[in-house]
Amino acid sequence: MKALMTAAALAALATTATAHYGMIIPSDNMVSQEDGRSIDLTLSFSHPFEGIGMVLERPEAFTVTHGGKTTDLLDRLQDTQVMDHAAFATEYRLVRPGTHVFAMTPKPYWEPEEDAFITHFTKTYVSAYGDDDGWDAELGLKTEIVPLSKPFALWEGNLFQGIVKLDGAPVPYAEVEVEYYNEDGSAVAPSDLMITQTIKADADGVFSYAVPTAGWWGFAALNTAAEPMQHDGEDKAHELGAVIWVHFEPWGAK
Amino acid sequence: MIRALAFALALAALPVAAHDLRVFASVSGQTVTVESTFSSGRVPTGGEIRVLDAQNVLLMTLDIGDEGKTQFALPEGAANTGLMIEVEVSEGHSDYWMLTPDDIAYGQGKN
Repeated sequence: MKALMTAAALAALATTATAHYGMIIPSDNMVSQEDGRSIDLTLSFSHPFEGIGMVLERPEAFTVTHGGKTTDLLDRLQDTQVMDHAAFATEYRLVRPGTHVFAMTPKPYWEPEEDAFITHFTKTYVSAYGDDDGWDAELGLKTEIVPLSKPFALWEGNLFQGIVKLDGAPVPYAEVEVEYYNEDGSAVAPSDLMITQTIKADADGVFSYAVPTAGWWGFAALNTAAEPMQHDGEDKAHELGAVIWVHFEPWGAK
Repeated sequence: MIRALAFALALAALPVAAHDLRVFASVSGQTVTVESTFSSGRVPTGGEIRVLDAQNVLLMTLDIGDEGKTQFALPEGAANTGLMIEVEVSEGHSDYWMLTPDDIAYGQGKN
């Protein structure tokens, strides 16, 4: 009985200690002309540090924004698997230089353990052909992290800063969860508290975080929608996540 | 392979540390458009464009046009082998765009 309770307690810890993340991971986020003309994009839903996948239903929206113009890419998504769960992938041709912002609005996800719906508005920024124009683009999503640091061309150890916005306005003292995409499983957290690190924005909604190592890092600013959602006839909380995925490069010493 | 080698030689001839000029070229039908801008967003007021074939043979030299845009007719045979387009403004401000057969086919709606 004791062993059972311990297992149950561990299971509970495992589910509460880690965060859900919508993910958009491109095959390259700084594409030079020598790299080719296309990138692959993978859309998923997961616990990225632990490599635990969840099912991503076909999103409500998937777009690319470049030069102020937004293009619908939803019909291009192909089924794939990420972390053994349903996910989506597509190839995209970068026709012109500049920053391309890929954004996904998933369907609200019912999370019984949190007794709430979760919608993570997820995006990532890709620079094409040595041109960073548009790196600070704000898409006007329901909730969004607007980068203050260029969201590519960052060294490991660099500070990443962004403004958390909800309905276009900064969110004072917004809570931001930070998690590393532990793609090869090599990272180990000494405490569950360090799988997802939690920080807060300042009074202007600006947060700062210095990453300890190269790779993909997800920043998720969490707010609760003013309007609840219905589940089995009951009002339930609706978590709105503003997620941005940023790649940091290893220091280039010889 | 020969084409790759020729391009590599052409690249080696360019200054390495001149990243503040950005050159992009695209094709629409039979017309090549070269766009030259500084990373600040400003456009160069003067400069030279050199168009080379895959064997590194200089095909033409052009001036940078208004608003940093220059157009020329796609040379015969370029669709199969591609073009190297080098732009030099001044004092080491230079960049290039390697217009590949794939770029040309895309601009002609063939892929």
